[in-house]
Amino acid sequence: MREHTEIVRPPRALWVTFELGRPLGIPDDPPFQRRVAKAALDLLARTDGPVLADYPEDVPEVTDFSGWACPISLAPSEVDSLAAEIDRLGTWYDQSMAKQGRTTVGVSGLDIPAAGALVSRALNNDLPEAQALKEAIDDLRAYYLEAASAFPDPGTATTRKKWFWDETQLAKALLALQPRLAASSDPQHKILGNLTLIPATERHRLRQ
Amino acid sequence: MVKRLSDMPEVEAAHLRRLDCPTYDDTALLSGKPLAERRVAIISTAGLHKRGDRPFRPGDGSYRVIPAETKASELVMSHISVNFDRTGFQQDLNVVFPIDRLRELVAESAVGSMAAIHYSFMGAFPPAAAEPHARHLTGLLKADKVDAALLVPV
Repeated sequence: MREHTEIVRPPRALWVTFELGRPLGIPDDPPFQRRVAKAALDLLARTDGPVLADYPEDVPEVTDFSGWACPISLAPSEVDSLAAEIDRLGTWYDQSMAKQGRTTVGVSGLDIPAAGALVSRALNNDLPEAQALKEAIDDLRAYYLEAASAFPDPGTATTRKKWFWDETQLAKALLALQPRLAASSDPQHKILGNLTLIPATERHRLRQ
Repeated sequence: MVKRLSDMPEVEAAHLRRLDCPTYDDTALLSGKPLAERRVAIISTAGLHKRGDRPFRPGDGSYRVIPAETKASELVMSHISVNFDRTGFQQDLNVVFPIDRLRELVAESAVGSMAAIHYSFMGAFPPAAAEPHARHLTGLLKADKVDAALLVPV
Protein backbone atom coordinates (compact mmCIF):
# COMPACT_ATOMS: atom_id res chain seq x y z
CA MET A 1 0.00 0.00 0.00
CA ARG A 2 1.35 3.41 -0.92
CA GLU A 3 -0.05 4.97 2.26
CA HIS A 4 1.67 2.39 4.48
CA THR A 5 4.92 2.72 2.55
CA GLU A 6 4.86 6.49 3.10
CA ILE A 7 4.72 5.84 6.86
CA VAL A 8 7.31 3.04 7.05
CA ARG A 9 9.67 4.82 4.59
CA PRO A 10 11.72 1.88 3.30
CA PRO A 11 14.91 2.96 1.49
CA ARG A 12 13.54 2.30 -1.99
CA ALA A 13 10.05 1.32 -3.11
CA LEU A 14 8.36 1.07 -6.48
CA TRP A 15 4.67 1.92 -6.60
CA VAL A 16 2.56 -0.14 -8.97
CA THR A 17 -1.18 0.09 -9.65
CA PHE A 18 -1.76 -3.62 -10.25
CA GLU A 19 -4.43 -5.74 -8.60
CA LEU A 20 -3.52 -6.83 -5.07
CA GLY A 21 -1.94 -10.29 -5.31
CA ARG A 22 -0.27 -9.54 -8.65
CA PRO A 23 2.78 -7.39 -7.79
CA LEU A 24 4.50 -8.17 -11.11
CA GLY A 25 1.37 -7.19 -13.03
CA ILE A 26 0.38 -9.71 -15.69
CA PRO A 27 0.62 -13.53 -15.49
CA ASP A 28 2.36 -15.19 -18.43
CA ASP A 29 3.75 -11.89 -19.71
CA PRO A 30 7.52 -12.19 -19.16
CA PRO A 31 8.47 -8.90 -20.89
CA PHE A 32 6.02 -6.94 -18.71
CA GLN A 33 7.18 -8.70 -15.54
CA ARG A 34 10.82 -8.15 -16.47
CA ARG A 35 10.25 -4.41 -16.90
CA VAL A 36 8.66 -4.22 -13.43
CA ALA A 37 11.42 -6.26 -11.77
CA LYS A 38 14.13 -4.23 -13.51
CA ALA A 39 12.49 -0.93 -12.52
CA ALA A 40 12.51 -2.06 -8.87
CA LEU A 41 16.11 -3.27 -9.03
CA ASP A 42 17.27 -0.09 -10.78
CA LEU A 43 16.23 1.84 -7.66
CA LEU A 44 19.31 0.34 -5.98
CA ALA A 45 21.37 3.01 -7.74
CA ARG A 46 19.41 5.78 -5.97
CA THR A 47 20.95 7.21 -2.80
CA ASP A 48 18.49 10.09 -2.31
CA GLY A 49 15.91 8.07 -0.41
CA PRO A 50 13.56 7.22 0.97
CA VAL A 51 12.56 6.72 -2.66
CA LEU A 52 8.94 6.00 -3.57
CA ALA A 53 8.97 5.82 -7.36
CA ASP A 54 5.88 5.55 -9.55
CA TYR A 55 5.93 2.72 -12.05
CA PRO A 56 4.66 4.22 -15.34
CA GLU A 57 2.68 1.27 -16.75
CA ASP A 58 -0.83 0.16 -15.77
CA VAL A 59 -2.42 -3.20 -16.46
CA PRO A 60 -5.29 -2.69 -18.89
CA GLU A 61 -8.67 -3.87 -17.59
CA VAL A 62 -9.56 -7.26 -19.04
CA THR A 63 -12.98 -6.94 -20.59
CA ASP A 64 -15.53 -9.15 -18.89
CA PHE A 65 -17.73 -11.18 -21.15
CA SER A 66 -21.06 -9.50 -20.65
CA GLY A 67 -23.57 -12.08 -19.57
CA TRP A 68 -20.89 -14.75 -19.27
CA ALA A 69 -22.51 -17.89 -18.00
CA CYS A 70 -20.55 -20.82 -16.71
CA PRO A 71 -20.63 -23.39 -19.51
CA ILE A 72 -20.66 -26.21 -16.98
CA SER A 73 -23.88 -26.56 -15.04
CA LEU A 74 -22.91 -26.29 -11.42
CA ALA A 75 -25.86 -24.38 -10.11
CA PRO A 76 -26.66 -25.79 -6.67
CA SER A 77 -29.91 -27.69 -6.45
CA GLU A 78 -31.73 -29.21 -3.51
CA VAL A 79 -30.54 -32.70 -4.36
CA ASP A 80 -26.96 -31.68 -5.04
CA SER A 81 -24.17 -32.01 -2.51
CA LEU A 82 -20.75 -30.51 -1.95
CA ALA A 83 -19.17 -33.92 -2.57
CA ALA A 84 -21.00 -34.28 -5.91
CA GLU A 85 -19.92 -30.81 -6.99
CA ILE A 86 -16.29 -31.53 -6.08
CA ASP A 87 -16.46 -34.78 -8.01
CA ARG A 88 -17.98 -33.09 -11.08
CA LEU A 89 -15.15 -30.56 -11.21
CA GLY A 90 -12.48 -33.28 -11.16
CA THR A 91 -12.18 -33.68 -14.90
CA TRP A 92 -11.79 -29.91 -15.37
CA TYR A 93 -9.17 -29.75 -12.63
CA ASP A 94 -7.29 -32.52 -14.47
CA GLN A 95 -7.51 -30.49 -17.68
CA SER A 96 -6.07 -27.47 -15.88
CA MET A 97 -3.22 -29.56 -14.45
CA ALA A 98 -2.39 -30.88 -17.91
CA LYS A 99 -2.45 -27.40 -19.42
CA GLN A 100 -0.53 -25.60 -16.66
CA GLY A 101 1.80 -28.45 -15.78
CA ARG A 102 1.26 -27.65 -12.12
CA THR A 103 -1.33 -27.09 -9.41
CA THR A 104 -1.33 -24.83 -6.38
CA VAL A 105 -3.47 -27.32 -4.45
CA GLY A 106 -1.58 -29.07 -1.67
CA VAL A 107 -1.40 -26.92 1.45
CA SER A 108 -3.48 -29.20 3.69
CA GLY A 109 -1.96 -32.56 2.80
CA LEU A 110 -5.50 -33.87 2.26
CA ASP A 111 -6.85 -35.11 -1.04
CA ILE A 112 -9.70 -33.00 -2.36
CA PRO A 113 -12.58 -35.33 -1.38
CA ALA A 114 -11.17 -35.42 2.17
CA ALA A 115 -10.89 -31.62 2.20
CA GLY A 116 -14.54 -31.46 1.13
CA ALA A 117 -15.47 -33.97 3.83
CA LEU A 118 -13.85 -31.73 6.45
CA VAL A 119 -16.03 -28.81 5.33
CA SER A 120 -19.11 -31.06 5.40
CA ARG A 121 -18.19 -32.15 8.92
CA ALA A 122 -17.98 -28.50 9.98
CA LEU A 123 -21.38 -27.87 8.39
CA ASN A 124 -22.77 -30.67 10.57
CA ASN A 125 -21.77 -28.69 13.67
CA ASP A 126 -18.58 -30.66 14.31
CA LEU A 127 -16.01 -27.89 13.85
CA PRO A 128 -12.51 -29.21 13.11
CA GLU A 129 -9.40 -27.44 14.37
CA ALA A 130 -9.33 -23.98 12.70
CA GLN A 131 -5.96 -24.33 10.97
CA ALA A 132 -6.87 -27.70 9.44
CA LEU A 133 -10.17 -26.29 8.21
CA LYS A 134 -8.51 -23.18 6.78
CA GLU A 135 -5.91 -25.24 4.90
CA ALA A 136 -8.61 -27.56 3.50
CA ILE A 137 -10.65 -24.54 2.34
CA ASP A 138 -7.58 -22.94 0.71
CA ASP A 139 -7.02 -26.15 -1.22
CA LEU A 140 -10.67 -26.38 -2.25
CA ARG A 141 -10.75 -22.77 -3.43
CA ALA A 142 -7.63 -23.35 -5.53
CA TYR A 143 -9.12 -26.58 -6.90
CA TYR A 144 -12.35 -24.85 -7.96
CA LEU A 145 -10.68 -21.86 -9.59
CA GLU A 146 -8.03 -23.95 -11.34
CA ALA A 147 -10.80 -26.26 -12.63
CA ALA A 148 -12.82 -23.28 -13.86
CA SER A 149 -9.81 -21.93 -15.76
CA ALA A 150 -10.03 -25.05 -17.97
CA PHE A 151 -13.72 -24.67 -18.85
CA PRO A 152 -14.37 -24.48 -22.63
CA ASP A 153 -15.16 -20.76 -22.25
CA PRO A 154 -13.27 -19.83 -19.10
CA GLY A 155 -14.26 -16.14 -19.07
CA THR A 156 -11.87 -13.97 -17.03
CA ALA A 157 -10.41 -14.38 -13.55
CA THR A 158 -13.05 -11.88 -12.38
CA THR A 159 -15.97 -13.81 -13.86
CA ARG A 160 -14.63 -17.09 -12.46
CA LYS A 161 -14.42 -15.63 -8.96
CA LYS A 162 -17.97 -14.30 -9.37
CA TRP A 163 -19.05 -17.77 -10.50
CA PHE A 164 -17.45 -19.27 -7.40
CA TRP A 165 -19.38 -16.99 -5.04
CA ASP A 166 -22.64 -16.88 -7.02
CA GLU A 167 -23.06 -20.50 -7.99
CA THR A 168 -21.09 -23.06 -6.05
CA GLN A 169 -22.10 -25.26 -3.15
CA LEU A 170 -18.68 -24.61 -1.62
CA ALA A 171 -19.26 -20.85 -1.42
CA LYS A 172 -22.70 -21.52 0.03
CA ALA A 173 -21.04 -23.76 2.64
CA LEU A 174 -18.44 -21.11 3.54
CA LEU A 175 -21.15 -18.47 3.96
CA ALA A 176 -23.09 -20.88 6.21
CA LEU A 177 -20.00 -21.66 8.26
CA GLN A 178 -19.03 -18.04 8.91
CA PRO A 179 -21.52 -17.28 11.73
CA ARG A 180 -20.84 -20.63 13.41
CA LEU A 181 -17.09 -20.01 13.41
CA ALA A 182 -17.53 -16.43 14.59
CA ALA A 183 -19.72 -17.64 17.46
CA SER A 184 -17.32 -20.39 18.56
CA SER A 185 -15.61 -20.10 21.93
CA ASP A 186 -12.30 -21.09 20.26
CA PRO A 187 -10.35 -17.88 19.41
CA GLN A 188 -8.82 -19.52 16.31
CA HIS A 189 -12.30 -20.31 15.00
CA LYS A 190 -13.23 -16.67 15.60
CA ILE A 191 -10.22 -15.44 13.58
CA LEU A 192 -11.18 -17.76 10.74
CA GLY A 193 -14.83 -16.74 10.82
CA ASN A 194 -14.28 -13.03 11.20
CA LEU A 195 -11.16 -12.43 9.11
CA THR A 196 -9.84 -15.20 6.92
CA LEU A 197 -12.83 -17.06 5.49
CA ILE A 198 -14.91 -14.61 3.44
CA PRO A 199 -13.16 -11.90 1.37
CA ALA A 200 -14.13 -8.35 2.34
CA THR A 201 -15.64 -7.87 -1.12
CA GLU A 202 -18.02 -10.82 -0.57
CA ARG A 203 -19.09 -10.16 3.02
CA HIS A 204 -22.26 -8.42 1.83
CA ARG A 205 -23.52 -11.92 0.98
CA LEU A 206 -23.58 -12.76 4.68
CA ARG A 207 -26.42 -10.30 5.16
CA GLN A 208 -28.53 -11.74 2.37
CA MET B 1 5.89 -2.55 -5.30
CA VAL B 2 2.92 -1.13 -3.47
CA LYS B 3 -0.69 -0.19 -4.28
CA ARG B 4 -2.90 2.72 -3.09
CA LEU B 5 -5.87 2.41 -0.72
CA SER B 6 -8.01 4.83 -2.73
CA ASP B 7 -7.88 2.46 -5.71
CA MET B 8 -9.40 -0.41 -3.75
CA PRO B 9 -12.96 -1.34 -2.84
CA GLU B 10 -13.81 0.59 0.35
CA VAL B 11 -14.43 -2.58 2.36
CA GLU B 12 -10.88 -3.78 1.66
CA ALA B 13 -9.36 -0.32 2.11
CA ALA B 14 -11.06 0.17 5.49
CA HIS B 15 -9.48 -3.01 6.83
CA LEU B 16 -6.01 -2.08 5.58
CA ARG B 17 -6.31 1.50 6.87
CA ARG B 18 -6.64 0.15 10.41
CA LEU B 19 -3.29 -1.66 10.28
CA ASP B 20 -0.61 -0.29 12.52
CA CYS B 21 2.60 0.60 10.69
CA PRO B 22 5.95 0.83 12.47
CA THR B 23 7.76 4.14 12.10
CA TYR B 24 11.51 4.73 12.05
CA ASP B 25 13.53 7.83 12.82
CA ASP B 26 15.66 7.44 9.73
CA THR B 27 15.94 5.36 6.59
CA ALA B 28 18.93 3.06 6.17
CA LEU B 29 20.07 3.78 2.64
CA LEU B 30 23.53 2.98 1.41
CA SER B 31 25.17 3.16 -1.97
CA GLY B 32 26.59 -0.06 -3.31
CA LYS B 33 27.92 -1.92 -6.31
CA PRO B 34 26.29 -1.59 -9.72
CA LEU B 35 23.34 -3.96 -10.27
CA ALA B 36 25.41 -5.95 -12.77
CA GLU B 37 27.76 -6.91 -9.92
CA ARG B 38 25.15 -7.62 -7.25
CA ARG B 39 23.89 -10.95 -5.98
CA VAL B 40 20.11 -10.71 -5.59
CA ALA B 41 17.67 -12.66 -3.41
CA ILE B 42 13.89 -12.53 -3.69
CA ILE B 43 11.97 -12.08 -0.46
CA SER B 44 8.23 -12.50 -0.94
CA THR B 45 5.41 -11.96 1.54
CA ALA B 46 2.97 -14.13 -0.45
CA GLY B 47 2.98 -16.97 2.10
CA LEU B 48 4.73 -19.29 -0.36
CA HIS B 49 6.40 -22.54 0.57
CA LYS B 50 7.21 -25.93 -0.78
CA ARG B 51 4.37 -28.45 -0.65
CA GLY B 52 4.89 -30.34 2.61
CA ASP B 53 6.59 -27.45 4.44
CA ARG B 54 4.76 -26.04 7.45
CA PRO B 55 1.85 -23.85 6.30
CA PHE B 56 1.66 -20.32 7.71
CA ARG B 57 -0.66 -19.62 10.65
CA PRO B 58 -2.26 -16.42 11.98
CA GLY B 59 0.39 -14.21 13.60
CA ASP B 60 3.21 -16.24 12.05
CA GLY B 61 6.24 -13.99 11.49
CA SER B 62 8.59 -16.75 10.38
CA TYR B 63 9.84 -17.42 6.86
CA ARG B 64 10.12 -20.43 4.57
CA VAL B 65 13.13 -21.15 2.40
CA ILE B 66 12.79 -21.54 -1.35
CA PRO B 67 15.98 -22.87 -2.96
CA ALA B 68 16.65 -21.29 -6.37
CA GLU B 69 16.19 -24.60 -8.17
CA THR B 70 12.68 -25.14 -6.72
CA LYS B 71 10.21 -25.91 -9.48
CA ALA B 72 7.03 -23.80 -9.74
CA SER B 73 5.04 -27.04 -9.41
CA GLU B 74 6.45 -27.55 -5.90
CA LEU B 75 5.20 -24.25 -4.47
CA VAL B 76 1.90 -23.59 -2.74
CA MET B 77 0.49 -20.54 -0.93
CA SER B 78 -0.88 -20.58 2.63
CA HIS B 79 -1.27 -16.85 3.20
CA ILE B 80 -4.02 -16.41 5.81
CA SER B 81 -5.64 -13.43 4.02
CA VAL B 82 -8.42 -13.96 1.50
CA ASN B 83 -8.38 -10.32 0.40
CA PHE B 84 -6.11 -10.56 -2.61
CA ASP B 85 -6.18 -12.32 -5.95
CA ARG B 86 -4.67 -15.81 -6.12
CA THR B 87 -5.66 -16.66 -9.68
CA GLY B 88 -2.60 -14.83 -11.00
CA PHE B 89 -0.35 -17.08 -8.90
CA GLN B 90 -2.34 -20.13 -10.00
CA GLN B 91 -1.64 -19.18 -13.60
CA ASP B 92 1.99 -18.06 -13.25
CA LEU B 93 4.26 -18.18 -10.20
CA ASN B 94 6.27 -15.24 -11.52
CA VAL B 95 3.43 -12.78 -10.96
CA VAL B 96 4.19 -13.04 -7.21
CA PHE B 97 7.67 -14.59 -7.19
CA PRO B 98 9.66 -13.45 -10.23
CA ILE B 99 12.33 -16.14 -10.09
CA ASP B 100 12.37 -16.75 -13.85
CA ARG B 101 12.63 -13.02 -14.52
CA LEU B 102 15.57 -12.75 -12.15
CA ARG B 103 17.19 -15.71 -13.85
CA GLU B 104 16.79 -13.96 -17.23
CA LEU B 105 18.26 -10.71 -15.88
CA VAL B 106 21.28 -12.66 -14.66
CA ALA B 107 21.62 -14.39 -18.06
CA GLU B 108 21.54 -10.96 -19.74
CA SER B 109 24.22 -9.73 -17.28
CA ALA B 110 21.88 -6.98 -16.07
CA VAL B 111 22.14 -8.56 -12.59
CA GLY B 112 25.36 -10.06 -11.28
CA SER B 113 24.05 -13.33 -9.86
CA MET B 114 21.11 -14.94 -8.13
CA ALA B 115 21.08 -16.09 -4.52
CA ALA B 116 21.15 -19.83 -3.89
CA ILE B 117 18.14 -19.53 -1.59
CA HIS B 118 15.14 -17.21 -1.65
CA TYR B 119 12.56 -16.64 1.07
CA SER B 120 8.88 -16.08 1.73
CA PHE B 121 7.10 -14.58 4.70
CA MET B 122 3.31 -14.43 5.03
CA GLY B 123 2.43 -10.74 4.86
CA ALA B 124 -0.33 -10.64 7.50
CA PHE B 125 1.95 -10.68 10.56
CA PRO B 126 2.44 -8.16 13.33
CA PRO B 127 5.85 -6.52 12.60
CA ALA B 128 7.18 -7.49 16.05
CA ALA B 129 6.51 -11.17 15.31
CA ALA B 130 8.73 -11.06 12.24
CA GLU B 131 11.61 -9.01 13.60
CA PRO B 132 13.66 -11.85 15.18
CA HIS B 133 13.20 -13.95 12.05
CA ALA B 134 14.14 -11.03 9.82
CA ARG B 135 17.31 -10.42 11.85
CA HIS B 136 18.25 -14.07 11.53
CA LEU B 137 17.52 -13.92 7.82
CA THR B 138 19.96 -11.05 7.28
CA GLY B 139 22.73 -13.32 8.57
CA LEU B 140 21.72 -16.07 6.15
CA LEU B 141 21.70 -13.60 3.27
CA LYS B 142 25.19 -12.40 4.18
CA ALA B 143 26.39 -15.99 4.32
CA ASP B 144 25.06 -16.45 0.76
CA LYS B 145 26.98 -13.26 -0.21
CA VAL B 146 23.71 -11.55 -1.14
CA ASP B 147 24.03 -7.78 -1.43
CA ALA B 148 20.56 -6.86 -2.75
CA ALA B 149 17.08 -8.08 -1.89
CA LEU B 150 14.04 -7.74 -4.14
CA LEU B 151 11.15 -7.50 -1.67
CA VAL B 152 7.90 -8.51 -3.35
CA PRO B 153 4.91 -7.71 -1.11
CA VAL B 154 1.51 -9.30 -1.53
